[in-house]
Amino acid sequence: MVLVLGAGCCFVKGYVVEHLLHFRLLAKLSQGRMFSFVSKRLSLMMMTKVCCFQRNFSSALPPLVPVKLPSKMETHFWYVLPDEVKSESLLSQYSELLSPREKKNLYHMQGDQFKKSALLARVLVRTTIARYQTNCQVNPRSLKFKKTIYGKPEVDWENGDKWCPPPLHFNISHTSSLVACGVTVNVPIGIDVEEKQRRLKNKILAFAKRYFSPDEVKLLTAISDPEIQRQEFIKLWTLKEAYVKAVGRGFSAAPFNTFTIRARVVKMGGFHHFDTQHSEASEIVVESSDDPENLTRNWQFALLDLAGSHYAAICIEKENSAGGEAGVPMRLTVWKTIPFVEDERVSGTGAVVPISGLIKQL
Amino acid sequence: MATFSAITSVIFAPSLEPSFSNNVIAERTSNLKMAIGGWRKNSFPSLKTNRFCVSCSAKPETVQKVCEIVRRQLALPAETELTSESKFSALGADSLDTVEIVMSLEEEFGIGVEEENSQNITTVQEAADLIEKLVEKKAA
Repeated sequence: MVLVLGAGCCFVKGYVVEHLLHFRLLAKLSQGRMFSFVSKRLSLMMMTKVCCFQRNFSSALPPLVPVKLPSKMETHFWYVLPDEVKSESLLSQYSELLSPREKKNLYHMQGDQFKKSALLARVLVRTTIARYQTNCQVNPRSLKFKKTIYGKPEVDWENGDKWCPPPLHFNISHTSSLVACGVTVNVPIGIDVEEKQRRLKNKILAFAKRYFSPDEVKLLTAISDPEIQRQEFIKLWTLKEAYVKAVGRGFSAAPFNTFTIRARVVKMGGFHHFDTQHSEASEIVVESSDDPENLTRNWQFALLDLAGSHYAAICIEKENSAGGEAGVPMRLTVWKTIPFVEDERVSGTGAVVPISGLIKQL
Repeated sequence: MATFSAITSVIFAPSLEPSFSNNVIAERTSNLKMAIGGWRKNSFPSLKTNRFCVSCSAKPETVQKVCEIVRRQLALPAETELTSESKFSALGADSLDTVEIVMSLEEEFGIGVEEENSQNITTVQEAADLIEKLVEKKAA
C-alpha cells in the first residue's frame, strides 16, 4: 500500500522525485517483496528503462512509444478500429488506465460495441497525450482532464511541476466502429467522424430546414439523387460539428443555422501541391450570418474518407492573423493505431482519401 | 415534495458513496431517490444544468413518450432498460442522435426547443421536464 501511495505522489512532486522513487522501488522489487496489485500499477508507471522488471510480469503493458509533437503548422490524426482490438486481456488492461469517473461512466453504458469504443476513446486520448510528453514520462493513467467554462475537454496539467507542458490541443470523436483523436500545437482543433452509411431517422430536408443554414438547405435540396443527398448531408454534418467543437463553446455559441459551410474552388497557382481527386482544389470555408468576418476567416477544414467506412472532418484555427494566407493547405499526418501495440502511418495511402479542403498529407 | 427532495440532496451529497446511497434509497420515497440519483451523477451543479429544478415533475405519460422516441431513435433492443434517469450518452447516442431526438420531440409535442436548451437535455427526465415547461408556456 505504501509503495503505491509513494509512487502516486511522485507525479505531483515532479520529475526529479519521480526518478528517486523509481530507484527505491526497483530496490524493493529486486528483494522480491512484491504484491500483484502493486505490480500492475508499477508496471504502468515505470515506462522506460525497466525492461528486465517488466519481463517478470506477463500482464504488464509495454512502454508507450514516444511521439514527436506536431510542428506549429501540422495536424496529427490518430484513429483506432475497435474491430482490430480483439484481445480481452488487452481491453482489461486498457480499463485500468481510466480514472474512477471514467470507469463509472463506462460501467453505466449499454451495448458492448458502444462500451468498447467508448473505452478505446478514453484510452486513445490518454495514451496519445502521454506519448507526446517526450521530456518527462507521463503515465496515461495519471492524466487529468477538465472542461472549459463552455464544456470543451482539455488536459488539466498539475501545477508546480518543473516542466512546462506544451500547448497541446486535442479533440476526440467516435462511432461504434472508429475512434479518433486529433492533435495540434498552439491552435484549437475540432474533429468529427461519422459512418458513411449513417441514416437519419428523420427526413433529411426536414432536418436540414430545422438545423442548417438556408444556403445549406438550398444546396441539399438541389441534389436529386437521395443517396448522394444523404452522403452530402453527412459530410456537411461532420464539418459543422468539427467547427463547433473547434470553436469550443458548444451549440449555443454557434447554433448550426447561423453559419454556412461550403466548398469554394481555389485556383491551382503557386507552389502548393494539393491532394484531391479533382483537377481543381476546393477550399472549405465557413461564413457566419451574425458574426464579423474576422472570426470565420480564421478556420481551416479538411474532409476525408477514412478507412473506407467513415467521413472525418477536421477543423483547426489558422495560426496567422485575421484573414491569413489564402490557399495554404493543412499539413496532415494520419496514423492507425492500437495503443501499446502498434502504429501504422496511413496518410498518403488508400486509407485516407481527401474529399475536399486544402490538404497536404505527410 | 420536490423542494424537500432538493434540500435533502444537498445535505446528503458530500457523504455519498454509491454503496451507502443504495441503503438510503431503500428506505426513502421514489422522489428522493431521483433527487439523490441526480445529485450523485454530477457532484456540483454545472453551469448548464439545474439539478434543483423545483418545478420538475413531468407527467408519466410524457416520460413514457420520450422513452418511446429515444428507444426508436437509438434502435434499442427490447431488453435495454430505459428509465427517466437514463442518460442518452450512456445509451449510445451521439450528438446527431441527440439532435434527432430533440427534433422528434418537437414534432411530437408541437414545441420549439432553443439550441441552448437542447444542449441541456442529457436524460429522459430532463427532456420530459423541458417539454412540459414549453407546452405550458405555449398554452399560456
